Amino acid sequence: MTLNPLPLNLSRFGGCTLTGALSVTTQVRDAITIVHGPKGCTHHNFSLLHATGLDNDRIILSDLISTGLLESDIIFGGEGALKRTIDAAANRQTSAIFVLSTCIVDMIGDDVAAVCHGNHGIPVIPVPTAGFLGGTFQNGVNNALTAIADTTKPCTTGSYVNIIGEKNLEYEVEENYAEVSRLLEALGIPVNLRFLRDCSTGDISRLGAARLNILRDVELLAVGERLRQRFDTPFIPSFPVGLEGTIRFIESVADGFGVKCLQAVREERALQDELLTEFEDITGTSITFDPAGMASATFPVAREVAEQIDIAIDGDGCTVPLQLSPPVGTNGIRHMLHRWRRAIHA
Amino acid sequence: MHECENPLWPCAMTGAAACLAGFDGITVVIHGSSGCYYYPSTLLHAPLHGTFILENEVIFGSEQRLHEVLDGLAGYGKKIAVVMTCVPAILGEDIRSMLRDYNVILVDSPGFSGDVETGYKKALSVLAPSVDPDTPGINIDGACLFDPFSGGNVREIIRLLVNTSVPVGTIFCSDRLEKVGHAAAYTMGTNGDFSSGVGEWLGGTLGFEEIKATLNRVASVFSEADPGPVYEEIEREDERIVRACDKFLCRFDPPHTVIFGGFSYAAFAARTLKHYLDADIQCIGSRNDPGTTTSSAVHVQGLSQVKELIRHYNPDLVIGSSFERSVDPKRGFIGLTPPLRGTVKLAPHPLAGISGTLSFVEDVLNACMDRRK
Repeated sequence: MTLNPLPLNLSRFGGCTLTGALSVTTQVRDAITIVHGPKGCTHHNFSLLHATGLDNDRIILSDLISTGLLESDIIFGGEGALKRTIDAAANRQTSAIFVLSTCIVDMIGDDVAAVCHGNHGIPVIPVPTAGFLGGTFQNGVNNALTAIADTTKPCTTGSYVNIIGEKNLEYEVEENYAEVSRLLEALGIPVNLRFLRDCSTGDISRLGAARLNILRDVELLAVGERLRQRFDTPFIPSFPVGLEGTIRFIESVADGFGVKCLQAVREERALQDELLTEFEDITGTSITFDPAGMASATFPVAREVAEQIDIAIDGDGCTVPLQLSPPVGTNGIRHMLHRWRRAIHA
Repeated sequence: MHECENPLWPCAMTGAAACLAGFDGITVVIHGSSGCYYYPSTLLHAPLHGTFILENEVIFGSEQRLHEVLDGLAGYGKKIAVVMTCVPAILGEDIRSMLRDYNVILVDSPGFSGDVETGYKKALSVLAPSVDPDTPGINIDGACLFDPFSGGNVREIIRLLVNTSVPVGTIFCSDRLEKVGHAAAYTMGTNGDFSSGVGEWLGGTLGFEEIKATLNRVASVFSEADPGPVYEEIEREDERIVRACDKFLCRFDPPHTVIFGGFSYAAFAARTLKHYLDADIQCIGSRNDPGTTTSSAVHVQGLSQVKELIRHYNPDLVIGSSFERSVDPKRGFIGLTPPLRGTVKLAPHPLAGISGTLSFVEDVLNACMDRRK
């Protein structure tokens, strides 16, 4: 039995706004996140964040406080509980408080923004979330990034890039960052800020200092636009994807900084040739993908790579796995090809 | 004030799903958003379905959506169980009326109604388990999918019952659905935090003394039962444990230990460590209401309490979940309590039965010795 065999509207599987926003706010080390709702919602997310942190070899115990709504609060309203929780959190040593709400809070009509308003001695930042009533996981990510960006001020720019909206719950998040860093290093361009991954409120104040923002993927276009309006920072809409896409990425970044990239491109093409040679033993085979893979954004990359190493894609071929997010850069393609080879030789 | 910093225990909805998904013959549908679905689906590793409701169903009603999902799942010969989450629970819809044309079970256990044990018990009560006088043997209970030792416990207790020549009745909650209404008249337990309350209680199986006491009662009610082979096995394995622990104590001091977990397992861990290693059980931080124990025990709901207890007692050995391990990774650690994240678990390790005690003491000795290397 499959987990969900029903062919439903894909937006239903868009995940929870709260989880998306928490994947961002919990990356700010010196801040507390309050989740206004029943205790279970906070536990679920705490456990999930903990698990993905451990998967990435990071022991993370995020500072999350639940307002712990009970049935009586659902009936009589939960604003009092939220106010008490904010007051208690503000008395602790913290630089900022993020306030996120759950779907049940949206249902009972608590005015979260109004409760957050007022002088608490530190910034209390409401992030628009309401579980599924607030949209999807990605909406939560975008809302959190935008809410935090709106607290920062313009500053002097330098020759750096910002990395915007890394997928913090992604298993290979650090490997993807390393791949982008490798390409940037080839151009001699440093990273100013990972907005937002493992940083402090002080780090975030440097958000406006980059000359170029690199978005994790096109789902963050609205955030990229917001940052362009606020800091006049242009952006590249996605991490490098595909063989030719990686070359284009190098060229785009170089163009943004007005630097030459011929040497970097030559070296990257050499690396790609080396990669394709490494997998010559699966040349001439046939592969296919499961339906989720065929529909994923990874498929165009898979097709490009298959053409390059002369692998046929047809329905009778060996089923190989395809991740939902496209592999990042040349080394991401290497990981994908190892998984293909394992499946072909199985 | 109910605020809680980093709550450590799942909600009632997860408990209900854990109960129902353990039965072969039930298709579980989480009636709620995708967010409510994803957590139990990743934690329980069981096939679950969801209605994945959206805002328009909150505004215009969820009946059509619920019917769409139920129609898609009907025809597979399984009973469908609908588990309510927080939002549908307060929408004010007459869900029972919506489901009148379907042969389904409705479990009203929204997250705000309590913790995982509350939902588990609620779901089991909806299944209406009953004793069938014609069913021979002994039921096994406490097998909750939420418990990482559940699968191993069931295998181990079946093994002990087979060696005692007593048939196995219904396993709560890891059995075929039709056996819920035909339970045996007697029950023995694995994890007391998830007891079924079905049949006459013969006792638990956590630790050798408890197993022996339970098998004595088994022998008194089943004339054909022969616990002799199990007693002999206990005697043999007890000697092995004593030998290993004595060897450890020749070189090392007993571990100063703080234990976090459901009370049933935590109390077992405390008894076992005191018995074999003369360990100093500094405190039990129970995830649920602590029962009676000779050790100091407090109810711990949030991570700040865990941090405070570890800071206060400065133990050599911490027993608990991966939350506790992460508080101070340098301390000796044994995984007893979900979640146990960051490790790969494939084999069905037990905590109950003879093998459970062996496995637990083995883990403790290795953790204590590794720490001293």
